[in-house]
Amino acid sequence: MAENGAKATVTLTIDGVEVTVPSGTRVIEAAEHVGVVVPRYCYHPGIPTRPAQCRMCLVEVEGRPKLEPSCTLQAADEMVVNTASDTARTARQSVIEFLLVNHPLDCPICDAAGQCMLQDYAYVTNQLESRVDEPKRIMGRDRISDDILYFADRCVICTRCVRFMRDVAEDDSLIVAQRGDKAYIDTFPGRELDNPFQGNIVDVCPVGALVHEDFVFKARAWDMDAAASVCPGCPTGCNVTIDTKENQIVRVKPRHNAAVNSWWMCDHGRRHLVMTNRGVRAEVPLIRDGEQLRPVDWATALDWVAEQMEALGSPGGSAVVSPDASNENLFYVHRLLERLGVAGAAFRVAQGDTAALPTVPTLKLRADRAANATGVELFGGCRVDGLADGSEGNGSAVSGSEGGALVVLDDALEGAGEDFGGAADFFLYLGTRLPGAARNADAVLPIATFAEMDGTFTNFEGRVQRFHQALRPPGLARPGWMVLSRVLARLGDGEAVNEVRGAFERMVAEAPAFAGLTWDGIGLKGAPAAGSAAAAAAAAGIHGPQKADA
Amino acid sequence: MSRRIHPAVVPAQPFQLTARETFDGPIFETEEGRHRLKAALSRYPTKQAALLPMLGFVQSVKGWIEPADMVEVAEALDLTPAYVHSIATFYTMYNKHPVGRHFVQVCTNISCHLNRAEEVLHRFLAETGTREGEVSEDGEFTVIEAECLGACGFATVVQVNDRYLEDVTPERVPEIVAKLRGARDGATAGGPEAGGGA
Repeated sequence: MAENGAKATVTLTIDGVEVTVPSGTRVIEAAEHVGVVVPRYCYHPGIPTRPAQCRMCLVEVEGRPKLEPSCTLQAADEMVVNTASDTARTARQSVIEFLLVNHPLDCPICDAAGQCMLQDYAYVTNQLESRVDEPKRIMGRDRISDDILYFADRCVICTRCVRFMRDVAEDDSLIVAQRGDKAYIDTFPGRELDNPFQGNIVDVCPVGALVHEDFVFKARAWDMDAAASVCPGCPTGCNVTIDTKENQIVRVKPRHNAAVNSWWMCDHGRRHLVMTNRGVRAEVPLIRDGEQLRPVDWATALDWVAEQMEALGSPGGSAVVSPDASNENLFYVHRLLERLGVAGAAFRVAQGDTAALPTVPTLKLRADRAANATGVELFGGCRVDGLADGSEGNGSAVSGSEGGALVVLDDALEGAGEDFGGAADFFLYLGTRLPGAARNADAVLPIATFAEMDGTFTNFEGRVQRFHQALRPPGLARPGWMVLSRVLARLGDGEAVNEVRGAFERMVAEAPAFAGLTWDGIGLKGAPAAGSAAAAAAAAGIHGPQKADA
Repeated sequence: MSRRIHPAVVPAQPFQLTARETFDGPIFETEEGRHRLKAALSRYPTKQAALLPMLGFVQSVKGWIEPADMVEVAEALDLTPAYVHSIATFYTMYNKHPVGRHFVQVCTNISCHLNRAEEVLHRFLAETGTREGEVSEDGEFTVIEAECLGACGFATVVQVNDRYLEDVTPERVPEIVAKLRGARDGATAGGPEAGGGA
């Protein structure tokens, strides 16, 4: 471009507002800079192809005889664009009228109602009566994959799903069959989609045509609460939004983050998150009373644990932590272990299949099936294969038969024996659940899962990302940092914190790996921890830390 | 069966195999199939571009295109079966349902309509004992109504497989059907006095 004397930026006027954008920007994107969202169906910022076939984003450009599709129209100097002129509005209204000719208007039973772009635009055009007398064509519904249903009658044939599969996932197995008013989305007859990223076609669907089967008829858009979070399924740390209803996770959607997951996430992550609803949880603090574990209130439990810690002094011992624990939880456990003279915690990570999205190099389903193995390693954790593998030269493994202190943070203790921890002077179990192997614990403190609290994870390349509370913890379970800061405060080490910000700030101040980060600074898109691969990349100008989402 | 034609003229040759039964197995493993594929590929810069001619070839051999054929074409052209399915369903002139040995299309557009095309159509249906689009019991006939076949000067026009019959009147229909029934040779499916250009 430069050889033609083209400038790096162009300045144009959109709806009376002048805006300067990089040259090559499309008008539909330039309009977003001035706060104008041009109606669209086929355009999606994450999908490279722009067929301009839905005709919704037509805008009027002064000096041009016909309306232009703003998704393919390049912004140019001195261009005067009017997105809401009478001509543009009339054209849009006609498109909506055509789409509604065969649309079943089943909004009362449609899962997209309230979040539907057809509904929204139809309300805007405000045409209450149809001019069409003919009966609507009826096509019914189809199964696209093991968990995705296709409601053909609702479809506007924007082909976002087809183009996601073809151009982003590079799996040309979803197509438009037939043509004209008979067109529908289909796979090859008798075959279903089988791609680890196929769930994204539901997210890109602007209407209610594609729906996850496990979400069908479960919740209305206006009944759900949403929380910004991070997927804990693997160390990639895809940014997600967790939708909840009545304290249950009903849906997970990817949240845009150009440095991590772009607009997408994998199906493993979705399923994994919805699975966190299940299982019996630890809900009440338990302390040792002779042969039994006795349920007590928090004040009693914390006082008693602090008393025992005081008495123990620094006996050494061992620890097992979960790679799903948040950085703050790990920090407080680390502080506790330092007091107890325990060298470093062991951690185990389940392994699984990997999968990559071809066109988004940063987005991979990685082999580790845990969110925060990097965080554990930053706090000196040592990866082990099994609890009792210590004999094979792995010094940090925990057989559960050592003396001294034994601290377990939310590890499910699979493979632990009957007498795990029986020989320890003091066995502290902090967990979201209560596995049988915790039977020898001297104290069990119930903690919240990542979905039930605020905190941060460190992803595979050292990017520290915030997640926010989506659910209420069950019973008396509380965030690990809240519990441990109280134990330490009773021992004269710091203060009890009630808000994650306090825990995070103390961690940043005392743990060099996190130096320089601030809670507001990492915002909703995360920032690289000092010395991490991500920080090195940022310094080299590959991708810098995101600005805070104030 | 193995007519060696120069690749450049392959699509222009009306092709109708004398015995469809010989194509029971995979089409592109037969000598003719291999030749057709190679000829088509030599004409285009990409394999994908040979899709329409290859679907046309399959239809000329079998009369219709079933999902198994789409898989075969997809494998021959390095495409996904789904993509082939989308193309085959986009074009209405690829038959996605079985048709009889003689696929009779009666034009009922304006010129033909004025020349008793409706009667011709109903006569064909009566003579073959089928309803529109059905395969007759002996597997010989499928009769459908067609949009303009582009031979308005010779209305009513009836297309039988690749051949045109022109100036068809309802009175001629029994004779045509009888001749077609007698013609065991698919290559001359148009009948002895098939007029005009193919």
